[in-house]
Amino acid sequence: MAILEAKNICKNFGKLEVLRGIDIEVNRGEVVAIIGPSGSGKSTFLRCLNKLEQINDGTIIFDGEVIAENGVYANDKVLRKIFKKMGMVFQNFNLFPQKSVIENIIEAPLIVKKEKKEDAITHARKLLNEVGLSDKENAYPCQLSGGQQQRVAIARALAMNPEIMLFDEPTSALDPELTGEVLAVMRKLAAEKNTMIVVTHEMGFAREVASRVIFMDNGVIVEEGTPDEVLSNPKNERTKQFLNRVLK
Amino acid sequence: MFLTVTTKLLEAFSVNIKIFFITLLFAMPLGMIIAMGSMCKFKPLSFITRVFVWIIRGTPLMLQLILFMYGPGLIFGYTGLSRINAALIAFVINYAAYFSEIYRGGIESISKGQYEAGYALGMSKIQVFFRIVFMQVVKRIVAPMSNEIITLVKDTSLARIIMVVEITQTAQNFVATKAIIWPVFYSGAFYLIFCGILTVLFGYIEKKFDYYRG
Ligand SMILES: Nc1ncnc2c1ncn2[C@@H]1O[C@H](COP(=O)(O)OP(=O)(O)O)[C@@H](O)[C@H]1O
Ligand SMILES: [Mg+2]
Repeated sequence: MAILEAKNICKNFGKLEVLRGIDIEVNRGEVVAIIGPSGSGKSTFLRCLNKLEQINDGTIIFDGEVIAENGVYANDKVLRKIFKKMGMVFQNFNLFPQKSVIENIIEAPLIVKKEKKEDAITHARKLLNEVGLSDKENAYPCQLSGGQQQRVAIARALAMNPEIMLFDEPTSALDPELTGEVLAVMRKLAAEKNTMIVVTHEMGFAREVASRVIFMDNGVIVEEGTPDEVLSNPKNERTKQFLNRVLK
Repeated sequence: MFLTVTTKLLEAFSVNIKIFFITLLFAMPLGMIIAMGSMCKFKPLSFITRVFVWIIRGTPLMLQLILFMYGPGLIFGYTGLSRINAALIAFVINYAAYFSEIYRGGIESISKGQYEAGYALGMSKIQVFFRIVFMQVVKRIVAPMSNEIITLVKDTSLARIIMVVEITQTAQNFVATKAIIWPVFYSGAFYLIFCGILTVLFGYIEKKFDYYRG
């Protein structure tokens, strides 16, 4: 049973057609990796799902609820209720700099979900433990390395108990020696059967963790299948070229 | 003599202080409204607001004081506005325009990612503004606001242009009538002490925000 269904997603920025009819279904517990050259529309696709960008056409259904139908989004109040169940992790972390690590994590549970403060804190501590940052709960983002900041950002998204996690190149802004700690957390999430869509350039991670790999180019899905099918035995010429370039 | 000068200067300086606080009280919120207007997505409104700010910042405060003093009477035949109120209106409008630009700069300097992180967590626009963005903006505008506010202390003397009795003019009167110079230095001390207090206060506020970078 698909938890997320995106049909015929089209998006243009002015004259530039960035998404040209994307169809994706994601099942509960699945990890979908989206790969593709820079500028192919991967980020834009993710951002359309939670209306950080607006689609021009297409339908998005999440957990049985309509996010957008034929290019028209549901009203903001309905959407906010749905977006509580979608977590997003950004390339640049986007932590709130004036808030400590634990304040970053409990903010949305407190003001969006109206959780009790004690409960939010208990949950936040459990999440910090999971991402290996228990000793940093009172630190401020500017005192953390990129890898630590990204792990806090993951904990912050998880604090809402999302049904799906969207990752937009979560390790691209990190020094190579810091990507490992973030990928390790994501591996753990995948092993715990969290539903995830991960835009990534980490082919090793996609191969190991993804249940499905989608190759996007120029606003369309070119090839889709198991990691083995797409990454080891690509059928499409463009996929082969792309993999040749990035795997070298 | 010293006592007379002291009383006179104190009396006059209370007018400067009054202009100062009333200007802050009204110009700070009015500046926010103007800033919102100039950032409004409805283009005609943001255009009109920006032209307004350009006119206010592009002409001398002195000129605006004269306009608000004599304009209502000569243009509309309304003569009920006292000198001090005319001065206050001119100061409030002038400073609101300057504050609005500081606010706008502060708000626009916050990265889009901060808003997006909030929206992605299911926050509303109002929640994102007040819970996420607002305090970050405050940190960024403390320094330019303190500059502007200290300038205001000294600008209050401009009210003399429309014959509002204030400290600089009072000091000058002693020079003219008694041929003594020391009241000029004395009046300077009033400004210095007041600005000194403000400097310490703003330093304290800035320090409060030192706990994080960004
Ligand atoms: N806000 C925007 N305004 C205009 N063009 C944009 C905007 N965001 C992205 N684009 C363009 O859309 C295309 C796809 O971008 P993106 O989705 O970020 O690609 P990817 O994540 O695959 O690298 C690029 O050509 C990019 O320049
Ligand atoms: Mg991208």
